[in-house]
Amino acid sequence: MTLLAKQNAIHIEQLRKSYSEPSVGDVHYIIKDVDLVIKGGEFFILLGPSGCGKSTLLNMIAGFVSKSGGNLRVNDVEVNKPGRDRAVVFQQADSSLFPWLTVRQNVEFGLRMKKTPKEEQRLISDRYIRLVGLTGHEEKFPKELSGGMKQRVQLARVLANDPAILLMDEPFGALDAMTRRTMQKELVNIWRETHKTVIFVTHDIQEALLLGERIGIMSVGPSSNITDIYDNSLSYPRDVASQQFYNLYNTIQGHFEE
Amino acid sequence: MRWIEKKWVSVSLLWIAVLCIWQLGAVVYGPDVIPGPWSTLKGGQELLADGTLTKYIGISFYRVLVGWVLGSLVAIPVGLIIGKVNVIRIFAEPFLNFIRFIPPIAFITLFLVWFGIGEQSKIALIMYATFFIVVLNILTGVMSVEEDKIRSARSMGASEWQILLHVIVPATIPYIFTGVRIAMGTSYMAIIGAEMIASNEGVGYLIWNSRLFFRTDWIFVGLFCLGFMGFFTDRLLGWFGKKVLFRYGVVSVAGKRR
Ligand SMILES: Nc1ncnc2c1ncn2[C@@H]1O[C@H](COP(=O)(O)OP(=O)(O)OP(=O)(O)O)[C@@H](O)[C@H]1O
Ligand SMILES: [Mg+2]
Repeated sequence: MTLLAKQNAIHIEQLRKSYSEPSVGDVHYIIKDVDLVIKGGEFFILLGPSGCGKSTLLNMIAGFVSKSGGNLRVNDVEVNKPGRDRAVVFQQADSSLFPWLTVRQNVEFGLRMKKTPKEEQRLISDRYIRLVGLTGHEEKFPKELSGGMKQRVQLARVLANDPAILLMDEPFGALDAMTRRTMQKELVNIWRETHKTVIFVTHDIQEALLLGERIGIMSVGPSSNITDIYDNSLSYPRDVASQQFYNLYNTIQGHFEE
Repeated sequence: MRWIEKKWVSVSLLWIAVLCIWQLGAVVYGPDVIPGPWSTLKGGQELLADGTLTKYIGISFYRVLVGWVLGSLVAIPVGLIIGKVNVIRIFAEPFLNFIRFIPPIAFITLFLVWFGIGEQSKIALIMYATFFIVVLNILTGVMSVEEDKIRSARSMGASEWQILLHVIVPATIPYIFTGVRIAMGTSYMAIIGAEMIASNEGVGYLIWNSRLFFRTDWIFVGLFCLGFMGFFTDRLLGWFGKKVLFRYGVVSVAGKRR
């Protein structure tokens, strides 16, 4: 466990992001002086109000957005570009899936880029399509799928590349309550099977409590920061109706009402 | 009145009405000003009988096809590269936006001087007419590829070259197709202009030359040929787009029903 925890860990120190020119006197920071350590294999939640910079922080870890100061290391290597070790599940499946490819071809995309042998691609895509419950829909195009199914394709597509770290930006935000609940359960199962590090962005407190082991709270921007981290050691699958769940919910709710 | 809503009924009624108005015009203004349907048909027969019409249609069509295919073949890679490489785009965009206001016809004399009186100057003119339209459409297409698609491909390990080939090209296909289709129309306009000024064969030449004999019926034949040539090539292209490029989101505009 300790070895695993050291692997694929994320170290963030005094991390800053600004979109304004450094030469301008009064620099406007989106996030400022973020300190955070995420252990390998951990399910970490980033919770915060809209516009506080959750996506910005996630995109920096993904390597899509450059930092303006501080350190950001994954596996002890400074992040400066996207990598196969960090997969991203985007909020909008429509803008991130490839509509000209079938479900199977979408899932095999990363493997095809890597020139994995065809038969192996097939085995891997079969496995992850089954894992997300899309068996029988392999030959469909994304536009023939429902919102929840598209999100599953996204999940299968990143899992097929076997990334150590899963970065998820409000992936279930656009789904109806029931589909969302199913997807949340499946995600927990997948995480427990695969031991990947997960960073999951949401602004839904219940979702945060259902999924993560730790919940980092971001303050309102600008110059946003992670102000508090709550541990959530409730065992999975979690019971929304339990007293502990209710207590934790109130604590976090109270945090935002201050 | 259900029968009038049947498509073939309304379409044939429309055509009969058009023919009637046309015939009326011919009667009122005399066949020298407006040749009626019948005299146009006779004129057409005359031109068909000695083989000039088929020859001219063939020649005009050949010029358009060669220039248009070559122009598109050059424009597609150029457009993709201008769109993908920021540095090139910054330099090329003002230039493209300047050139696109200069219609091909304006270049006829210059092209004759540069490429000679033969086929080259005509084909070069069609290439010019095609090139800028296709490039500008591709630019729009490349610019509107969603960032999430490129980001997800990149984090699945795709190289810049693979991103161009497997994300940008397929995502841009509808724009390429639209560009190529519009360019077909401008190519016809360009070739007729060129044939009027500097050719002794082709549909443009027929239309222009008929004035010497005051054969307005031949002019009408020429106009109809142009209309049909454009109509059929466009339909053919539309059909091809719908059948072959369907998965890339190409829809045939003409065949689209609501
Ligand atoms: N490319 C950019 N240029 C300038 N400002 C930006 C850019 N991207 C984001 N911002 C700003 O950064 C701030 C944080 O944005 P971000 O998208 O990270 O918020 P968020 O916490 O993910 O919000 P939400 O929950 O609504 O998705 C916002 O004020 C936004 O205006
Ligand atoms: Mg966001």
